Amino acid sequence: MNIAITDPHLMKSGRSLRSLFQHSFVLTKRSVLGRLRQPAIIAPSFIFPLFFAALGSASFHKLAEDPYFTKNIATSFLNYAIAGAVLQGVLFASISAAADLAIDIEQGFFERLLASPISRTSIVLGRLAGSMVVAMFQVTIFLMIFIGAGARIKSGPFGFLGLVIGGALLSLAMSAMMAGLAIKSGSSEVVQSAFPLIFVLMFLSSAFFPRHYMSGWYRTVADWNPISHIVEGFQGFINQELDFSQFAKAWLLPLAVAIVSIFFALRSLSKRLAGS
Amino acid sequence: MSSSPVFPSIETGLHAAQPMEVIKVLVQRSMMRVRRMPSAFIPSLIMPVFQLIAFSGAFGFAVTSLGIKNALDWYVPLNAIQGASFGAVGVSFGLINDMQTGFFDRILLAPTRRWVMVAAPLAAAIVRCIVPVAFVIIVGFLGGMNTPGGLLALVCVAISAIGIGLVSCAFALGLTFRIQNLGAATLTQFGIFFTIFLSTSQVPISAMTGWLRSVARINPMTNVLRLARQGFLGDVTWEGSWGGLLAIAVLLLLSCWYAMTGIKKFDQ
Repeated sequence: MNIAITDPHLMKSGRSLRSLFQHSFVLTKRSVLGRLRQPAIIAPSFIFPLFFAALGSASFHKLAEDPYFTKNIATSFLNYAIAGAVLQGVLFASISAAADLAIDIEQGFFERLLASPISRTSIVLGRLAGSMVVAMFQVTIFLMIFIGAGARIKSGPFGFLGLVIGGALLSLAMSAMMAGLAIKSGSSEVVQSAFPLIFVLMFLSSAFFPRHYMSGWYRTVADWNPISHIVEGFQGFINQELDFSQFAKAWLLPLAVAIVSIFFALRSLSKRLAGS
Repeated sequence: MSSSPVFPSIETGLHAAQPMEVIKVLVQRSMMRVRRMPSAFIPSLIMPVFQLIAFSGAFGFAVTSLGIKNALDWYVPLNAIQGASFGAVGVSFGLINDMQTGFFDRILLAPTRRWVMVAAPLAAAIVRCIVPVAFVIIVGFLGGMNTPGGLLALVCVAISAIGIGLVSCAFALGLTFRIQNLGAATLTQFGIFFTIFLSTSQVPISAMTGWLRSVARINPMTNVLRLARQGFLGDVTWEGSWGGLLAIAVLLLLSCWYAMTGIKKFDQ
Protein backbone atom coordinates (compact mmCIF):
# COMPACT_ATOMS: atom_id res chain seq x y z
CA MET A 1 0.00 0.00 0.00
CA ASN A 2 2.21 2.83 1.24
CA ILE A 3 5.26 1.12 -0.09
CA ALA A 4 4.04 2.13 -3.51
CA ILE A 5 3.46 5.69 -2.38
CA THR A 6 6.86 6.11 -0.79
CA ASP A 7 8.90 4.31 -3.41
CA PRO A 8 7.03 3.36 -6.59
CA HIS A 9 9.78 1.15 -7.94
CA LEU A 10 10.54 -0.71 -4.78
CA MET A 11 8.03 -3.53 -5.02
CA LYS A 12 8.34 -4.14 -8.75
CA SER A 13 11.01 -6.76 -8.58
CA GLY A 14 12.12 -9.55 -6.31
CA ARG A 15 15.42 -7.75 -5.91
CA SER A 16 13.70 -4.68 -4.48
CA LEU A 17 11.71 -6.83 -2.11
CA ARG A 18 14.95 -8.45 -1.02
CA SER A 19 16.51 -5.06 -0.40
CA LEU A 20 13.45 -4.06 1.65
CA PHE A 21 14.09 -7.07 3.88
CA GLN A 22 17.82 -6.38 4.03
CA HIS A 23 17.34 -2.75 4.98
CA SER A 24 14.64 -3.65 7.50
CA PHE A 25 16.95 -6.25 9.00
CA VAL A 26 19.80 -3.75 9.43
CA LEU A 27 17.48 -1.17 10.97
CA THR A 28 15.94 -3.83 13.21
CA LYS A 29 19.42 -4.69 14.44
CA ARG A 30 20.14 -1.01 15.05
CA SER A 31 16.87 -0.62 16.93
CA VAL A 32 17.52 -3.64 19.17
CA LEU A 33 21.12 -2.62 19.89
CA GLY A 34 19.96 0.92 20.58
CA ARG A 35 17.53 -0.41 23.18
CA LEU A 36 20.07 -2.70 24.81
CA ARG A 37 22.65 0.08 24.98
CA GLN A 38 20.29 2.27 26.99
CA PRO A 39 19.64 0.17 30.10
CA ALA A 40 18.40 3.23 32.00
CA ILE A 41 15.57 3.62 29.50
CA ILE A 42 14.66 -0.04 29.19
CA ALA A 43 14.98 -0.79 32.94
CA PRO A 44 11.64 0.77 34.03
CA SER A 45 9.78 -1.53 31.63
CA PHE A 46 11.28 -4.46 33.55
CA ILE A 47 11.31 -3.09 37.10
CA PHE A 48 7.79 -1.67 37.41
CA PRO A 49 5.81 -4.62 35.99
CA LEU A 50 7.78 -7.09 38.10
CA PHE A 51 7.39 -4.87 41.16
CA PHE A 52 3.62 -4.56 40.69
CA ALA A 53 3.29 -8.30 40.15
CA ALA A 54 5.28 -9.04 43.31
CA LEU A 55 3.29 -6.44 45.22
CA GLY A 56 -0.03 -7.79 43.96
CA SER A 57 0.77 -11.40 44.74
CA ALA A 58 1.90 -10.48 48.29
CA SER A 59 -1.10 -8.20 48.87
CA PHE A 60 -3.97 -10.06 47.24
CA HIS A 61 -2.94 -13.67 47.81
CA LYS A 62 -6.11 -14.20 49.87
CA LEU A 63 -8.13 -13.92 46.69
CA ALA A 64 -6.91 -17.42 45.89
CA GLU A 65 -9.04 -18.62 48.82
CA ASP A 66 -12.14 -17.73 46.78
CA PRO A 67 -13.33 -20.88 44.98
CA TYR A 68 -14.50 -18.87 41.97
CA PHE A 69 -11.01 -17.44 41.51
CA THR A 70 -9.21 -20.77 41.73
CA LYS A 71 -11.73 -22.55 39.53
CA ASN A 72 -12.19 -19.98 36.77
CA ILE A 73 -9.33 -17.51 36.87
CA ALA A 74 -6.01 -18.73 38.27
CA THR A 75 -4.57 -21.05 40.87
CA SER A 76 -2.72 -18.23 42.64
CA PHE A 77 -2.53 -14.45 42.40
CA LEU A 78 1.05 -14.74 41.16
CA ASN A 79 -0.23 -16.80 38.23
CA TYR A 80 -2.87 -14.15 37.64
CA ALA A 81 -0.39 -11.27 37.80
CA ILE A 82 1.90 -12.65 35.06
CA ALA A 83 -0.30 -11.48 32.20
CA GLY A 84 -0.65 -7.97 33.64
CA ALA A 85 3.11 -7.72 34.08
CA VAL A 86 3.74 -8.88 30.50
CA LEU A 87 1.20 -6.39 29.17
CA GLN A 88 2.60 -3.54 31.24
CA GLY A 89 6.21 -4.29 30.29
CA VAL A 90 5.46 -4.59 26.59
CA LEU A 91 3.40 -1.39 26.51
CA PHE A 92 6.05 0.64 28.36
CA ALA A 93 8.84 -0.69 26.14
CA SER A 94 6.83 0.02 22.97
CA ILE A 95 6.28 3.63 23.95
CA SER A 96 9.96 4.19 24.62
CA ALA A 97 10.85 2.47 21.32
CA ALA A 98 8.59 4.91 19.47
CA ALA A 99 10.11 7.76 21.45
CA ASP A 100 13.49 6.65 20.04
CA LEU A 101 12.10 7.08 16.54
CA ALA A 102 10.94 10.59 17.46
CA ILE A 103 14.43 11.30 18.82
CA ASP A 104 15.87 10.15 15.49
CA ILE A 105 13.65 12.74 13.82
CA GLU A 106 14.57 15.46 16.31
CA GLN A 107 18.29 14.79 16.02
CA GLY A 108 18.31 14.61 12.24
CA PHE A 109 19.17 10.92 11.86
CA PHE A 110 15.82 10.34 10.16
CA GLU A 111 16.70 12.95 7.51
CA ARG A 112 20.03 11.21 6.92
CA LEU A 113 18.20 7.92 6.45
CA LEU A 114 15.94 9.59 3.91
CA ALA A 115 18.97 10.91 2.07
CA SER A 116 20.46 7.41 1.82
CA PRO A 117 19.42 4.91 -0.86
CA ILE A 118 17.28 2.72 1.39
CA SER A 119 13.66 1.75 1.34
CA ARG A 120 11.49 4.32 3.15
CA THR A 121 9.20 1.62 4.43
CA SER A 122 12.08 -0.19 6.10
CA ILE A 123 12.61 2.85 8.36
CA VAL A 124 9.27 2.07 10.00
CA LEU A 125 9.37 -1.71 9.61
CA GLY A 126 12.86 -1.92 11.10
CA ARG A 127 11.72 -0.02 14.17
CA LEU A 128 8.61 -2.17 14.56
CA ALA A 129 10.51 -5.43 14.12
CA GLY A 130 13.08 -4.23 16.65
CA SER A 131 10.30 -3.56 19.10
CA MET A 132 8.91 -7.07 18.55
CA VAL A 133 12.32 -8.67 19.14
CA VAL A 134 12.74 -6.74 22.39
CA ALA A 135 9.21 -7.74 23.45
CA MET A 136 9.91 -11.44 22.82
CA PHE A 137 13.11 -11.18 24.82
CA GLN A 138 11.29 -9.31 27.59
CA VAL A 139 8.36 -11.75 27.83
CA THR A 140 10.76 -14.71 27.91
CA ILE A 141 12.71 -13.14 30.79
CA PHE A 142 9.51 -12.29 32.64
CA LEU A 143 8.20 -15.84 32.31
CA MET A 144 11.48 -17.33 33.49
CA ILE A 145 11.46 -15.04 36.54
CA PHE A 146 7.84 -15.90 37.34
CA ILE A 147 8.44 -19.63 36.92
CA GLY A 148 11.43 -19.26 39.23
CA ALA A 149 9.17 -17.51 41.73
CA GLY A 150 6.73 -20.44 41.71
CA ALA A 151 4.29 -19.69 38.89
CA ARG A 152 3.08 -22.55 36.69
CA ILE A 153 1.97 -22.44 33.07
CA LYS A 154 -0.95 -24.81 32.76
CA SER A 155 -0.80 -25.16 28.98
CA GLY A 156 2.93 -25.93 29.07
CA PRO A 157 5.47 -24.92 26.41
CA PHE A 158 2.70 -24.03 23.93
CA GLY A 159 1.25 -21.58 26.42
CA PHE A 160 4.73 -20.16 26.97
CA LEU A 161 5.19 -19.72 23.23
CA GLY A 162 1.66 -18.38 22.85
CA LEU A 163 2.38 -15.68 25.39
CA VAL A 164 5.73 -14.76 23.82
CA ILE A 165 4.08 -14.39 20.38
CA GLY A 166 1.13 -12.54 21.93
CA GLY A 167 3.56 -10.11 23.58
CA ALA A 168 5.34 -9.56 20.27
CA LEU A 169 2.05 -8.88 18.45
CA LEU A 170 0.94 -6.45 21.14
CA SER A 171 4.29 -4.73 20.88
CA LEU A 172 3.84 -4.50 17.10
CA ALA A 173 0.41 -2.93 17.54
CA MET A 174 1.47 -0.41 20.16
CA SER A 175 4.82 0.45 18.52
CA ALA A 176 3.13 1.04 15.18
CA MET A 177 0.53 3.30 16.79
CA MET A 178 3.18 5.27 18.65
CA ALA A 179 5.54 5.29 15.64
CA GLY A 180 2.71 6.87 13.62
CA LEU A 181 2.41 9.51 16.32
CA ALA A 182 6.19 9.99 16.39
CA ILE A 183 6.41 10.46 12.62
CA LYS A 184 3.39 12.72 12.55
CA SER A 185 4.56 14.96 15.40
CA GLY A 186 8.33 14.54 15.15
CA SER A 187 8.46 15.07 18.90
CA SER A 188 9.51 12.60 21.57
CA GLU A 189 7.61 14.70 24.10
CA VAL A 190 4.34 14.08 22.26
CA VAL A 191 5.03 10.33 22.23
CA GLN A 192 5.87 10.32 25.94
CA SER A 193 2.73 12.31 26.67
CA ALA A 194 0.71 9.34 25.39
CA PHE A 195 2.02 7.40 28.38
CA PRO A 196 -0.66 8.60 30.85
CA LEU A 197 -3.35 7.53 28.39
CA ILE A 198 -1.91 4.02 28.20
CA PHE A 199 -1.56 4.01 31.98
CA VAL A 200 -5.25 4.92 32.37
CA LEU A 201 -6.33 2.27 29.84
CA MET A 202 -4.28 -0.33 31.70
CA PHE A 203 -5.77 0.49 35.08
CA LEU A 204 -9.31 0.57 33.69
CA SER A 205 -8.93 -3.05 32.61
CA SER A 206 -8.49 -6.43 34.20
CA ALA A 207 -4.68 -6.19 33.99
CA PHE A 208 -4.28 -5.92 37.75
CA PHE A 209 -7.48 -7.43 39.14
CA PRO A 210 -10.14 -9.75 37.69
CA ARG A 211 -13.21 -8.14 36.13
CA HIS A 212 -15.41 -10.56 38.02
CA TYR A 213 -14.72 -8.66 41.26
CA MET A 214 -15.31 -5.18 39.84
CA SER A 215 -18.66 -3.43 40.00
CA GLY A 216 -20.57 -0.40 38.70
CA TRP A 217 -19.32 1.88 35.95
CA TYR A 218 -15.75 0.68 36.49
CA ARG A 219 -16.78 -2.83 35.52
CA THR A 220 -18.60 -1.52 32.44
CA VAL A 221 -15.49 0.38 31.31
CA ALA A 222 -13.31 -2.67 31.95
CA ASP A 223 -15.76 -4.83 29.96
CA TRP A 224 -15.45 -2.54 26.94
CA ASN A 225 -11.73 -1.94 27.25
CA PRO A 226 -9.86 -4.01 24.61
CA ILE A 227 -6.88 -4.23 27.00
CA SER A 228 -9.04 -6.38 29.30
CA HIS A 229 -9.64 -8.90 26.53
CA ILE A 230 -6.00 -8.99 25.42
CA VAL A 231 -4.77 -9.52 28.98
CA GLU A 232 -7.39 -12.21 29.56
CA GLY A 233 -6.13 -13.96 26.44
CA PHE A 234 -2.66 -13.86 27.94
CA GLN A 235 -4.03 -15.19 31.22
CA GLY A 236 -5.71 -18.01 29.35
CA PHE A 237 -2.34 -19.24 28.07
CA ILE A 238 -1.06 -19.45 31.64
CA ASN A 239 -4.03 -20.60 33.64
CA GLN A 240 -6.17 -22.70 31.29
CA GLU A 241 -5.87 -25.42 28.70
CA LEU A 242 -5.30 -24.11 25.17
CA ASP A 243 -8.39 -23.11 23.23
CA PHE A 244 -9.31 -20.86 20.32
CA SER A 245 -10.62 -17.98 22.45
CA GLN A 246 -7.14 -17.39 23.90
CA PHE A 247 -5.63 -17.13 20.43
CA ALA A 248 -8.43 -14.83 19.32
CA LYS A 249 -7.92 -12.51 22.28
CA ALA A 250 -4.14 -12.65 22.62
CA TRP A 251 -3.14 -12.87 18.95
CA LEU A 252 -5.93 -11.78 16.63
CA LEU A 253 -7.01 -8.72 18.59
CA PRO A 254 -3.49 -7.21 18.77
CA LEU A 255 -2.96 -8.23 15.14
CA ALA A 256 -6.08 -6.34 14.07
CA VAL A 257 -4.92 -3.26 15.99
CA ALA A 258 -1.44 -3.71 14.48
CA ILE A 259 -2.78 -3.71 10.90
CA VAL A 260 -4.65 -0.45 11.47
CA SER A 261 -1.68 1.05 13.32
CA ILE A 262 0.86 0.08 10.64
CA PHE A 263 -1.39 1.70 8.06
CA PHE A 264 -1.46 4.84 10.23
CA ALA A 265 2.34 4.80 10.65
CA LEU A 266 3.02 4.35 6.92
CA ARG A 267 0.50 7.03 6.06
CA SER A 268 2.19 9.41 8.50
CA LEU A 269 5.50 8.57 6.84
CA SER A 270 4.07 9.30 3.38
CA LYS A 271 2.73 12.64 4.56
CA ARG A 272 6.07 13.55 6.14
CA LEU A 273 7.89 12.59 2.93
CA ALA A 274 5.44 14.56 0.84
CA GLY A 275 5.90 17.52 3.17
CA SER A 276 9.66 17.38 2.96
CA MET B 1 15.24 35.82 34.40
CA SER B 2 15.35 39.60 34.28
CA SER B 3 14.84 41.80 37.30
CA SER B 4 11.21 41.90 38.26
CA PRO B 5 9.05 43.37 40.99
CA VAL B 6 8.93 39.88 42.48
CA PHE B 7 12.02 40.64 44.55
CA PRO B 8 11.60 44.22 45.64
CA SER B 9 13.10 43.67 49.05
CA ILE B 10 16.18 41.89 47.78
CA GLU B 11 16.83 44.26 44.93
CA THR B 12 16.13 47.57 46.57
CA GLY B 13 17.12 47.04 50.15
CA LEU B 14 19.61 44.22 50.66
CA HIS B 15 20.27 45.19 54.25
CA ALA B 16 16.55 44.83 55.01
CA ALA B 17 16.11 41.25 53.73
CA GLN B 18 14.62 39.57 56.77
CA PRO B 19 14.30 35.76 56.58
CA MET B 20 10.49 35.77 56.72
CA GLU B 21 10.35 38.45 54.07
CA VAL B 22 12.58 36.43 51.73
CA ILE B 23 10.58 33.26 52.39
CA LYS B 24 7.35 35.10 51.59
CA VAL B 25 8.71 36.46 48.32
CA LEU B 26 10.14 33.08 47.27
CA VAL B 27 6.83 31.36 48.04
CA GLN B 28 5.00 33.97 45.97
CA ARG B 29 7.45 33.34 43.14
CA SER B 30 6.85 29.60 43.35
CA MET B 31 3.10 30.17 43.19
CA MET B 32 3.59 32.43 40.19
CA ARG B 33 5.38 29.55 38.47
CA VAL B 34 2.33 27.34 39.11
CA ARG B 35 0.08 29.98 37.56
CA ARG B 36 2.36 30.51 34.57
CA MET B 37 3.09 26.82 33.96
CA PRO B 38 -0.05 24.97 35.03
CA SER B 39 0.95 22.01 32.82
CA ALA B 40 3.76 21.25 35.27
CA PHE B 41 1.42 21.24 38.26
CA ILE B 42 -1.79 19.73 36.86
CA PRO B 43 -0.45 16.13 36.64
CA SER B 44 0.21 16.17 40.39
CA LEU B 45 -3.41 17.19 40.81
CA ILE B 46 -4.97 14.72 38.39
CA MET B 47 -2.87 11.62 39.02
CA PRO B 48 -3.86 11.09 42.69
CA VAL B 49 -7.52 11.47 41.79
CA PHE B 50 -7.16 9.05 38.92
CA GLN B 51 -5.33 6.59 41.14
CA LEU B 52 -8.03 6.96 43.78
CA ILE B 53 -10.65 6.01 41.21
CA ALA B 54 -8.49 3.24 39.73
CA PHE B 55 -7.49 1.66 43.05
CA SER B 56 -10.94 1.81 44.58
CA GLY B 57 -12.49 0.51 41.36
CA ALA B 58 -9.98 -2.28 40.70
CA PHE B 59 -9.03 -3.38 44.20
CA GLY B 60 -12.27 -2.42 45.94
CA PHE B 61 -13.32 -6.04 46.40
CA ALA B 62 -9.99 -6.99 48.00
CA VAL B 63 -10.35 -4.20 50.56
CA THR B 64 -14.06 -4.48 51.33
CA SER B 65 -13.75 -8.26 51.77
CA LEU B 66 -11.43 -7.46 54.70
CA GLY B 67 -14.25 -5.64 56.53
CA ILE B 68 -13.66 -2.08 55.31
CA LYS B 69 -17.01 -0.46 54.51
CA ASN B 70 -15.99 1.52 51.46
CA ALA B 71 -12.80 1.21 49.41
CA LEU B 72 -12.58 5.02 49.32
CA ASP B 73 -12.10 5.05 53.12
CA TRP B 74 -8.93 3.04 52.55
CA TYR B 75 -7.60 4.76 49.47
CA VAL B 76 -8.38 8.47 50.07
CA PRO B 77 -5.63 8.88 52.73
CA LEU B 78 -3.15 6.97 50.56
CA ASN B 79 -3.80 9.09 47.50
CA ALA B 80 -3.84 12.30 49.52
CA ILE B 81 -0.34 11.48 50.77
CA GLN B 82 0.80 10.49 47.31
CA GLY B 83 -0.63 13.65 45.75
CA ALA B 84 0.95 15.84 48.43
CA SER B 85 4.37 14.30 48.03
CA PHE B 86 4.40 14.49 44.24
CA GLY B 87 3.06 18.06 44.38
CA ALA B 88 5.80 19.02 46.84
CA VAL B 89 8.55 17.48 44.72
CA GLY B 90 7.48 19.91 41.97
CA VAL B 91 9.29 22.60 43.95
CA SER B 92 12.60 20.92 43.17
CA PHE B 93 11.82 21.09 39.42
CA GLY B 94 11.61 24.86 39.88
CA LEU B 95 14.89 24.88 41.78
CA ILE B 96 16.62 22.92 39.00
CA ASN B 97 15.30 25.41 36.48
CA ASP B 98 16.63 28.28 38.59
CA MET B 99 20.02 26.57 38.82
CA GLN B 100 20.17 26.04 35.07
CA THR B 101 19.24 29.64 34.27
CA GLY B 102 21.66 30.99 36.88
CA PHE B 103 18.87 32.62 38.88
CA PHE B 104 19.64 30.54 41.95
CA ASP B 105 23.19 31.94 42.05
CA ARG B 106 21.69 35.39 42.22
CA ILE B 107 19.41 34.36 45.08
CA LEU B 108 22.46 33.05 46.91
CA LEU B 109 23.98 36.52 46.70
CA ALA B 110 21.12 37.90 48.77
CA PRO B 111 22.21 38.88 52.29
CA THR B 112 20.19 36.20 54.00
CA ARG B 113 20.91 32.99 55.83
CA ARG B 114 21.28 29.69 53.99
CA TRP B 115 18.49 27.97 55.92
CA VAL B 116 16.09 30.39 54.24
CA MET B 117 16.98 28.76 50.91
CA VAL B 118 15.64 25.50 52.32
CA ALA B 119 12.77 26.96 54.33
CA ALA B 120 11.33 28.92 51.41
CA PRO B 121 10.87 25.90 49.09
CA LEU B 122 9.44 23.96 52.04
CA ALA B 123 6.91 26.73 52.66
CA ALA B 124 6.03 26.71 48.96
CA ALA B 125 5.69 22.93 49.15
CA ILE B 126 3.02 23.27 51.87
CA VAL B 127 0.88 25.34 49.52
CA ARG B 128 1.49 22.86 46.69
CA CYS B 129 0.51 19.98 48.99
CA ILE B 130 -2.76 21.46 50.16
CA VAL B 131 -4.31 21.68 46.69
CA PRO B 132 -4.08 17.97 45.69
CA VAL B 133 -5.01 16.86 49.22
CA ALA B 134 -8.15 19.02 49.14
CA PHE B 135 -8.96 17.76 45.64
CA VAL B 136 -8.65 14.10 46.67
CA ILE B 137 -10.77 14.63 49.81
CA ILE B 138 -13.50 16.40 47.82
CA VAL B 139 -13.60 13.54 45.29
CA GLY B 140 -13.71 11.10 48.23
CA PHE B 141 -16.70 12.88 49.73
CA LEU B 142 -18.44 12.96 46.37
CA GLY B 143 -17.82 9.22 46.07
CA GLY B 144 -19.41 8.52 49.46
CA MET B 145 -16.37 8.13 51.71
CA ASN B 146 -17.07 7.69 55.46
CA THR B 147 -15.42 9.74 58.21
CA PRO B 148 -16.41 8.20 61.55
CA GLY B 149 -13.53 10.14 63.12
CA GLY B 150 -15.23 13.42 62.17
CA LEU B 151 -13.16 16.56 61.68
CA LEU B 152 -10.17 14.90 63.35
CA ALA B 153 -10.06 12.43 60.46
CA LEU B 154 -9.43 15.32 58.08
CA VAL B 155 -6.87 16.84 60.45
CA CYS B 156 -4.98 13.52 60.61
CA VAL B 157 -4.93 13.09 56.85
CA ALA B 158 -3.80 16.72 56.40
CA ILE B 159 -0.97 16.32 58.94
CA SER B 160 0.17 13.07 57.33
CA ALA B 161 -0.02 14.36 53.77
CA ILE B 162 1.66 17.70 54.45
CA GLY B 163 4.25 15.99 56.65
CA ILE B 164 5.21 13.50 53.96
CA GLY B 165 5.05 16.28 51.36
CA LEU B 166 7.61 18.26 53.37
CA VAL B 167 9.81 15.20 53.81
CA SER B 168 9.70 14.56 50.05
CA CYS B 169 10.44 18.18 49.26
CA ALA B 170 13.37 18.38 51.70
CA PHE B 171 14.82 15.13 50.38
CA ALA B 172 14.40 16.37 46.79
CA LEU B 173 16.13 19.64 47.69
CA GLY B 174 19.03 17.80 49.30
CA LEU B 175 19.44 15.65 46.22
CA THR B 176 19.03 18.61 43.85
CA PHE B 177 21.74 20.60 45.65
CA ARG B 178 24.03 17.61 45.21
CA ILE B 179 23.41 16.42 41.66
CA GLN B 180 21.95 19.63 40.18
CA ASN B 181 19.87 18.10 37.42
CA LEU B 182 16.38 16.74 36.73
CA GLY B 183 17.49 13.29 37.85
CA ALA B 184 17.15 14.51 41.45
CA ALA B 185 13.40 15.03 41.15
CA THR B 186 12.96 11.76 39.25
CA LEU B 187 14.95 9.81 41.82
CA THR B 188 12.89 11.36 44.62
CA GLN B 189 9.68 10.37 42.86
CA PHE B 190 10.94 6.80 42.56
CA GLY B 191 11.85 6.84 46.25
CA ILE B 192 8.40 8.08 47.26
CA PHE B 193 6.71 5.58 44.99
CA PHE B 194 8.54 2.57 46.40
CA THR B 195 8.29 3.74 50.03
CA ILE B 196 4.54 4.20 49.72
CA PHE B 197 3.86 0.94 47.91
CA LEU B 198 6.08 -1.11 50.21
CA SER B 199 3.80 -0.29 53.12
CA THR B 200 0.13 -0.91 53.83
CA SER B 201 -0.81 0.99 50.70
CA GLN B 202 -3.03 -1.73 49.22
CA VAL B 203 -4.12 -3.93 52.12
CA PRO B 204 -3.59 -4.09 55.91
CA ILE B 205 -0.53 -5.97 57.23
CA SER B 206 -2.76 -8.83 58.40
CA ALA B 207 -3.72 -9.56 54.78
CA MET B 208 -0.15 -9.51 53.48
CA THR B 209 2.19 -12.40 53.09
CA GLY B 210 5.91 -13.11 52.83
CA TRP B 211 8.47 -10.42 52.04
CA LEU B 212 5.97 -7.57 51.75
CA ARG B 213 4.68 -8.20 55.27
CA SER B 214 8.25 -8.03 56.66
CA VAL B 215 9.07 -4.86 54.71
CA ALA B 216 5.78 -3.13 55.56
CA ARG B 217 6.28 -3.81 59.28
CA ILE B 218 9.54 -1.82 59.36
CA ASN B 219 8.52 0.81 56.81
CA PRO B 220 7.76 4.12 58.61
CA MET B 221 5.13 4.84 55.97
CA THR B 222 2.97 2.12 57.52
CA ASN B 223 2.72 4.21 60.70
CA VAL B 224 2.01 7.36 58.71
CA LEU B 225 -0.78 5.60 56.80
CA ARG B 226 -2.22 4.32 60.08
CA LEU B 227 -2.31 7.90 61.36
CA ALA B 228 -3.93 9.13 58.14
CA ARG B 229 -6.51 6.35 57.88
CA GLN B 230 -7.68 5.96 61.45
CA GLY B 231 -10.40 8.63 61.24
CA PHE B 232 -11.79 7.07 58.06
CA LEU B 233 -12.02 3.57 59.55
CA GLY B 234 -13.00 4.43 63.14
CA ASP B 235 -12.22 6.87 65.93
CA VAL B 236 -9.05 8.91 66.15
CA THR B 237 -6.95 7.69 69.08
CA TRP B 238 -3.54 8.54 70.51
CA GLU B 239 -2.56 4.90 70.05
CA GLY B 240 -3.19 5.16 66.34
CA SER B 241 -1.51 8.53 66.07
CA TRP B 242 1.79 8.62 67.92
CA GLY B 243 3.64 6.19 65.65
CA GLY B 244 2.80 8.23 62.57
CA LEU B 245 3.61 11.55 64.22
CA LEU B 246 6.96 10.19 65.40
CA ALA B 247 7.74 8.79 61.94
CA ILE B 248 6.96 12.14 60.30
CA ALA B 249 9.05 14.06 62.88
CA VAL B 250 12.09 11.79 62.45
CA LEU B 251 11.85 11.73 58.65
CA LEU B 252 11.44 15.50 58.56
CA LEU B 253 14.45 16.03 60.77
CA LEU B 254 16.61 13.72 58.67
CA SER B 255 15.48 15.12 55.34
CA CYS B 256 15.94 18.74 56.48
CA TRP B 257 19.44 17.87 57.67
CA TYR B 258 20.07 16.30 54.25
CA ALA B 259 18.85 19.47 52.53
CA MET B 260 20.95 21.76 54.75
CA THR B 261 24.13 19.74 54.22
CA GLY B 262 23.26 19.72 50.50
CA ILE B 263 23.15 23.50 50.24
CA LYS B 264 26.45 23.72 52.13
CA LYS B 265 28.01 21.36 49.59
CA PHE B 266 26.49 23.40 46.79
CA ASP B 267 28.07 26.55 48.25
CA GLN B 268 31.47 24.92 48.42
